[in-house]
Amino acid sequence: MKRIIIFIVLIVVVVASVVAYRMYSEETPDIVNREPDVVTDAKTLIADFEKDTAAAVAKYMDKVIRLSGRLKKIDTTGTLILGEEGNASEVVVGLDRRHMQDHAGLVVGSMVTVQGTCSGYTSGSADSGDMLASLGTTVELKSAGIH
Amino acid sequence: MFKMKMLVIAVCMLASISGNAQDRYFTKSGKILFESKAPLEDIEATNKTVTAVLDKKTGAFQFALSMKGFEFKKALMQEHFNENYVESDKFPRSEFKGSVVNNSEVNYSKPGSYPVIVKGKLTIHGVTRDVVANGLLKVTAEGVRAESTFNIQLSDYDIKIPAVVKDKISNTIKISVDAQLDPLKS
Repeated sequence: MKRIIIFIVLIVVVVASVVAYRMYSEETPDIVNREPDVVTDAKTLIADFEKDTAAAVAKYMDKVIRLSGRLKKIDTTGTLILGEEGNASEVVVGLDRRHMQDHAGLVVGSMVTVQGTCSGYTSGSADSGDMLASLGTTVELKSAGIH
Repeated sequence: MFKMKMLVIAVCMLASISGNAQDRYFTKSGKILFESKAPLEDIEATNKTVTAVLDKKTGAFQFALSMKGFEFKKALMQEHFNENYVESDKFPRSEFKGSVVNNSEVNYSKPGSYPVIVKGKLTIHGVTRDVVANGLLKVTAEGVRAESTFNIQLSDYDIKIPAVVKDKISNTIKISVDAQLDPLKS
C-alpha cells in the first residue's frame, strides 16, 4: 500500500512538473492566420479612434484585427505603416518575429491586408507643448504579419 | 485694411508652423529593446512601434510607446510583464521628454556620426524620473538615426518584483533605443 501511495505521488509530481514546464516555456502564439476578432480597414479604425476613443478601446484593444489598407511605408527592420498620403493619421504595424520577412515583395502605395493584435494608440491634438501630438492619430498593431 | 492685416497674420502663422515642421525629424516605427540578465531567467522584449520626434533647431527630443506593444518570446512572461509588473492597463504608455544637451555639436546638414548626451524625464509605470544617457546621432542624406543604450532600475519606477523571485530577477533593465527619423514635412 505504501509503495502504491509513493508511486502515485511520484506520478503526480512528474505530471505537475511537465505541465508547469510546458506552461512556462510556451511561446507567444502566431496569430497571423488565426480567426480574427475584428475585420476592418485602416480608415475605419483610425476614424473610430478619432470619433470616440473610449468606445474604440473597448472594441479593438487586445483584439486580433484583420486590417486592409494602403501601404504607406516599409521599415525593413520590422514595421509597416498603413495610411493615406497627405494624412498624418496612420496605423503602425509591428511584425511578429516569425513574419519579419513579410514585407518582401510589397510595394508602397498598394493595398495590403495585415493581421495583428491592437496594442495601443496615440491621439493627435493641437497641443504645442507635445511634439508627438502633431503626428496625428496613430493606432498600433503588434505580433502582425501579412494575411 | 483689417482684411489685409488678417491675411498677413495668417501667412506669418502658416510660415511659422511650416518652419517648425521642417526643423523636425520623426518616426512611428522606432525600436526599443529591453533586456534583463538574471540567474533565474534572461528577459528580453522588443517594441517596434515607437513614436519619436527630434527638433534639430532646439535639440528637443521626445519618444513614446505603448507598454502592450512589447513582444516577448514566452507567452507567460508577456502576461506577467503586462499584468503583474508594469500594469499595462493602468499605465498604458511610457514617455521620454528631453533634449540633446550638446545639440550645437551636431551638424544636421553634414552626414556623419555625432556622439550626443540626452537629458530628460522618463515616465514608466506612472513614475517620472530624470535620465541622462549617451547616444549617437547618425546624420544621412535621408534623415537621422538615433541610437542610445542606458540602464534603469525597476525599483525607481515603483515596479515590484514578487518576493519569491526577488533574488532571481534583476532590478536593472538595459534599454536600447534605435530610431530611423525622417524629415517631418509640413
